[in-house]
Amino acid sequence: MIKKILLIDDSPISRRIMKSCIPKDRGYELYEAGDGLAGLETYKDVRPDVTFMDLTMPVMDGAEATGKIKEFHPEAVVIVCTADIQIKSITNVLGLGALMVMKKPPSKETIEDALAKAEAHIG
Amino acid sequence: MDYCQNTISDEEKEILQEIMNIAFGKAAADLAEVINIFVVLSVPYIEMLMAHDLPVYIKSQVSEYGRVSIVEQNFWGEFKGSAFLVFQSSAGRELISLFGDGSGDFGSESIDALEKETLMEVGNILIGACVGKLSELLGDAVTYSPPRVVTENTPNDAIPVNIFESGSSAIVLKTVFCFNERNVHGFLFLVTSHDSILWLKKSLAAFMEQYE
Repeated sequence: MIKKILLIDDSPISRRIMKSCIPKDRGYELYEAGDGLAGLETYKDVRPDVTFMDLTMPVMDGAEATGKIKEFHPEAVVIVCTADIQIKSITNVLGLGALMVMKKPPSKETIEDALAKAEAHIG
Repeated sequence: MDYCQNTISDEEKEILQEIMNIAFGKAAADLAEVINIFVVLSVPYIEMLMAHDLPVYIKSQVSEYGRVSIVEQNFWGEFKGSAFLVFQSSAGRELISLFGDGSGDFGSESIDALEKETLMEVGNILIGACVGKLSELLGDAVTYSPPRVVTENTPNDAIPVNIFESGSSAIVLKTVFCFNERNVHGFLFLVTSHDSILWLKKSLAAFMEQYE
């Protein structure tokens, strides 16, 4: 069951959009980080059930952060939410262990769908 | 006119930055579908400056390039302005083979003409998809002038000095990219005049309203 959700995105606007699309009636605890490195550290502190990850970020990009999170915790559920929808980028992060990739901007429906997939994966 | 109405706030810049991020991501994916290339993206940057400072600003951004090739395209809608895709002048030659059949045989066309055509095609796809997606997200539709390729010794010679009235302000949306396999770097500058600012402010607010 999903309790904690971590949002990793350098854009505060993008994080605001994500938060507005996440259902508010399920008591999720939301955590945020503004780049891949801060996201990795927050991941280690919080151990979220689901992590939404941007790709194009300063300091450490989302692909590297996804790889490091999966190295640290192979069971981590990382959902990439990105504007970089090139096939090679998508293939790369799926290869690194991301559960799925969704394109920006998200909507309530695409977030709901992603959370359902994450819930099913967690079991 | 009230200064606040004629400028954009930090929050509006952040919204525009995210929209530009989405738009250029779409453009890169469109280009990658047409030619076998991977575009390394970076975080876009938004700046507001005086129109007469534009050529100097753009020159300062691409100063390490020396000789440049620029694809220029104008667009019109509520969102209107000019797009400048700036490459090192060697980029056209690097990219030619991506459009060929792999044999290296380009028939009777001169390399110079092929370079221009290649840059024009890359520019057309990147600018069209980026500006198109940006205006779509902001509830607008734009039309375009045909792309024009200018190769000059310095960016100063290639950017028109008088694209907007000299006393007016301009918003610059900048993104830096790299074509991984070809070691080709470039900048995309979208420059919109102060005529678009009021519309832009309303559209940015409307974009965020759907997420309130």
